Amino acid sequence: MPSTKTKYFGTMAYREESVYEFPWGLPAFDHEKRFVLIESPEHAPLVFLQSLADPELCFLAFPILVADREYQLGIAPEDLAALELDTDRQPEATQALVLALLSLHDGFSPTANLMAPIVINLGTRRALQAIRCDSLYSHDHSLPLATTEEYSGGTAC
Amino acid sequence: MLVLRRRAGESLLIGDEIEIQLLAVTAHGAKIGIRAPKDTVVLRKELRITQEQNARAALGPMQKDFERAIKNLRL
Repeated sequence: MPSTKTKYFGTMAYREESVYEFPWGLPAFDHEKRFVLIESPEHAPLVFLQSLADPELCFLAFPILVADREYQLGIAPEDLAALELDTDRQPEATQALVLALLSLHDGFSPTANLMAPIVINLGTRRALQAIRCDSLYSHDHSLPLATTEEYSGGTAC
Repeated sequence: MLVLRRRAGESLLIGDEIEIQLLAVTAHGAKIGIRAPKDTVVLRKELRITQEQNARAALGPMQKDFERAIKNLRL
């Protein structure tokens, strides 16, 4: 089994089935084309998108419905076509995994990007970040905290 | 913000080198043509926002704060 250095979990073996191809990279990370999806039961529903090229690059994410149970997908037909999904309807949960990327770092309130979810075609393991143009959802959606404790020096940004 | 009313086919100029033409208006949106020097970057604003947001997301919690930062989330 291949293994990779990771940002949070040391060196980890992974299965090829957990590798997702991002043929177009991600905005601001255009050259990052392969990520392994790390699912750890103790952190569920969080998942980790660890770059295979850069051990220091690991996005935290969760299924977008975790942030908003009523979330309505709005993936553009071009993006559906690029992922070889049906372009005249939004994909079912069995066809595509839709993740929101989290911003979670010291000094800032945690947020999730609901405007530009990661969409993974589960059949082909191809993925892209699908940017919505309809202004219905925020790129900076605040997440509730478990306690009233703020991060050290934390203010909303 | 400067607000101008334009009809399909009409243009406006920004500086000497940039022309923005409203090509068509439909129920789904407006089609806009842009003529600008090659070195002028033209981006959908959502793309720039996503780049910035990804750069922020990539910072992530520090290794040492990782467990605490995650535990602090109410999911």
